[in-house]
Amino acid sequence: MYSRRRFLGTAALVGASALQGRVQAASIPEAPHMDKVVMQPPLHPIGGPDYRPVVTLNGWSLPFRMNGDWKEFHLVAEPVVREFAEGMKVNLWGYNGQSPGPTIEAVEGDRVRIFVTNRLPEHTTVHWHGMIIPSGMDGVGGLTQPHIRPGKTFVYEFEMKKSGTFMYHPHSDEMVQMAMGMMGMVVVHPRDQTFRPVDRDFVFVMSTYRVDPGTYLPHVNEMTDFNMWTWNARVFPGIDPLPVRLGDKVRVRIGNLSMTSHPIHLHGHSFAVTCTDGGWIPESAQYPETTTDVPVGAVRVFDVLADNPGDWAFHCHKSHHTMNAMGHEVRNLIGVSRKDLAKAVGKLAPDSMAMGATGMAMGNMEMPAPDNTLPMMTGAGQFGPIEMGGMFTVMKIREDLARDDYRDPGPYRFPKGTVAYEVTAPATEPARQQPDAVPMKNMKM
Amino acid sequence: MTDHRARRLLVLATFNLCSLGLAGCAAFSPDGGMTAVSDLTSRTIDKDVAFVQTSEGADAIDARVSQLLARTLNAETAVQIALLNNKGLQAAYNELALAETDLVEQSLPPNPVFSISRISGSGASEVERQVVGDILALATLPFRSDIARDQFRQAQLRAAEATLRLANEVRRAYVRAVAGNEMVALLTDAKATAESTAQLAVKLGETGSLNKLDQAREQVFYAETTADLATARQTAASAREKLARLMGLWDGGLDFRLPNQLPPLPRRPQALPSIEADAVAHRIDLQIARLGLNALAKSLNLTEATRFVTLLDLAGISRRTQDPEGAPFRERGFDVQFQIPIFDGGEVRVRQAAETYNLAFNRLTERAVNVRSEARDAYRIYRSSYDIASHYQREIIPLRKIITEEMQLRFSSMQVDIFALLTEARQRLASLRGAIDARQRFFLAQSDLQTAVNGGGTPASGGDNPTTIAAAAPADAGH
Repeated sequence: MYSRRRFLGTAALVGASALQGRVQAASIPEAPHMDKVVMQPPLHPIGGPDYRPVVTLNGWSLPFRMNGDWKEFHLVAEPVVREFAEGMKVNLWGYNGQSPGPTIEAVEGDRVRIFVTNRLPEHTTVHWHGMIIPSGMDGVGGLTQPHIRPGKTFVYEFEMKKSGTFMYHPHSDEMVQMAMGMMGMVVVHPRDQTFRPVDRDFVFVMSTYRVDPGTYLPHVNEMTDFNMWTWNARVFPGIDPLPVRLGDKVRVRIGNLSMTSHPIHLHGHSFAVTCTDGGWIPESAQYPETTTDVPVGAVRVFDVLADNPGDWAFHCHKSHHTMNAMGHEVRNLIGVSRKDLAKAVGKLAPDSMAMGATGMAMGNMEMPAPDNTLPMMTGAGQFGPIEMGGMFTVMKIREDLARDDYRDPGPYRFPKGTVAYEVTAPATEPARQQPDAVPMKNMKM
Repeated sequence: MTDHRARRLLVLATFNLCSLGLAGCAAFSPDGGMTAVSDLTSRTIDKDVAFVQTSEGADAIDARVSQLLARTLNAETAVQIALLNNKGLQAAYNELALAETDLVEQSLPPNPVFSISRISGSGASEVERQVVGDILALATLPFRSDIARDQFRQAQLRAAEATLRLANEVRRAYVRAVAGNEMVALLTDAKATAESTAQLAVKLGETGSLNKLDQAREQVFYAETTADLATARQTAASAREKLARLMGLWDGGLDFRLPNQLPPLPRRPQALPSIEADAVAHRIDLQIARLGLNALAKSLNLTEATRFVTLLDLAGISRRTQDPEGAPFRERGFDVQFQIPIFDGGEVRVRQAAETYNLAFNRLTERAVNVRSEARDAYRIYRSSYDIASHYQREIIPLRKIITEEMQLRFSSMQVDIFALLTEARQRLASLRGAIDARQRFFLAQSDLQTAVNGGGTPASGGDNPTTIAAAAPADAGH
């Protein structure tokens, strides 16, 4: 993990000498490194205009230094090992020790200088997705700049013209590099702090991988049949919860750099999409939703008033996207008796367990799995297995949470009498309404 | 005058006979020549052999056999039982005993023939007494007994060869019978697996999860395995039956127990750098052929020695003639007959003998060359079948195990379909069958190697004519 004090020291040291024009190699800022996969506390600005920082789901924001009136960042494109959840590590490419890379935060009107050092085995660039910048800073290798060769450092300089939520990713062998996890988010805060302020601001990017069980590298040529559906390259139960104080106004910023859309659904609330990577949506154009579809290559930001305490599922509504590694060529075994199934399976795989005869529910079984893969569905709640994986987490809304406290508050203590409960019912078939015995006109029954 | 001479000749013949009798007379051995056989075979296969001649002996053998049968048989006990209990082998030992009778017969001097004849008529009578000895037989007695000794030695070697051959056949039959058991067990297991998955396929057809095509695909493994199992059962039963035959078992002895699987491979194969020399020194068929050649050489000398005298009969004649007209008078004399081969001069027979000898010599040389090659070949087959079987044991089966485990993990974590496990099980079954086959081939090759060095691998050759050596029958390829 980077040391904030060391960073500040460095910043103070080099910040003294104002640089103008082309940057000297010696004055390139330090590139902070992150080795943790849990959500890091918000990074309050140490210079420039103030803003209310975001928290990155299972991620961090990239520290910067002020150099005159320039905000300087340093991204290092490099191979990384990313833990998708406990028990599964994947060799990816990313920035500054993690994939996705750190969130870059700035303020509308800021002049930023972003150094990009390439430690990948091939050339790269960085494209600033959705941002209004000079064409020569757009990072399309070959079109707007030469590719950054391995070992080289390039610098991008532009002004943050408008506030909003954006992304960064390569535009250089991008099919491979994005499949390998090269991406990150850019948040530009409004200079006017009274512009649509929120109490908590979460951000993450969605990406998908095909990592066959027992392997450590994603298939970069996969187009559709992914088995790892990630938020910030994490899958449930590896995705941190979103702790929220009751009554907080919460903003969630979601980027999508996967190859399919994701209908993102929050339980217990309705929200409004307030921003895209195109900009802020006028309040008059917003309409209430509980699910918003985030298209491929787009950003959706929704604001929600967290007025309903509890543990609220927050997930992609494509049901396969809330599963971890699973075979898609598996026959449906529903309707076959467990005994028959157990007999057949027992002969073929004595150590396995028969499942699927009533469905796939198996969350309470610790299934043996190949190396470096995750159970298809996993994660436990206070009432038992959650039977989820992939793009799933929980928004935990609590009354007793302090402002800016992002620690996991634990399972929700349900008020007495507010949980669905079992009733004693006769074991006979429930009474059913009889369909109308009189046939409809002109209908053969 | 003549009478005296004849008498003297008879005395001489009798003397010769006795002196020869002292030197060449052979007596029956107490063991019927079996000690040599048992020495020969125990040196190579380390087993007891027995020639059952008395009912007490038979009882002892029966007791020993039932004692051996009480436990699960291994290859060695199976061989031991066969060596004690196989009646064909006993018959071979009977032949040996017969050869001994020949030896004894050939080493005895010819019995002199006494004859007396009386001719009478018209009051006259003639009485003739003769003592006839086969002078030639007498003269050739040392040669003949020598040859007979060689032939007896050959008979012993043949008996030993029959013993080794039986041991080899038993070992092979044992390997096949046990491998048959192993295959049956494997396929029985596979059939049970195939059956339950075939039933699952039917159920999935009923729930609507599996179409007719896929149902048939999943069921065909069951059908095929059933057929394979039937074939394997038949093969195993035949192999067991052959083993029972070789062990001379019937009725009560037929419920002998065999292990369910072949023993594991030895840790490393034997290194036999001097295998050719060993084979040439040990091969019993070579020893037989060598002795045959010796015997032939001796008989060839004999032929040369007697080339001008083929038959020499000496009769001492005492003739008394009574004439009615006159007083009886005695005549004495002797009668010697020669056949003098004026017309062929013995040359034809000399040529025949020489060619017969050369033929035998060349056959022996050919045999030796073949034995060396067979030994090399047997060793190569032994080595390569070891390598193949060990490749199965050390590479393929462990890899299959990994595949099975990994497939099961994938199945457990819902990565693959249950029928993917079945497909994998079919492939594993093929590997396991290959492994059993390879191990069986190795143990057969091991037995063949022993045979290539010691002999006993070729089926019984002409037997009567030791100079005619059958070309080695190709070793049973085993499949």
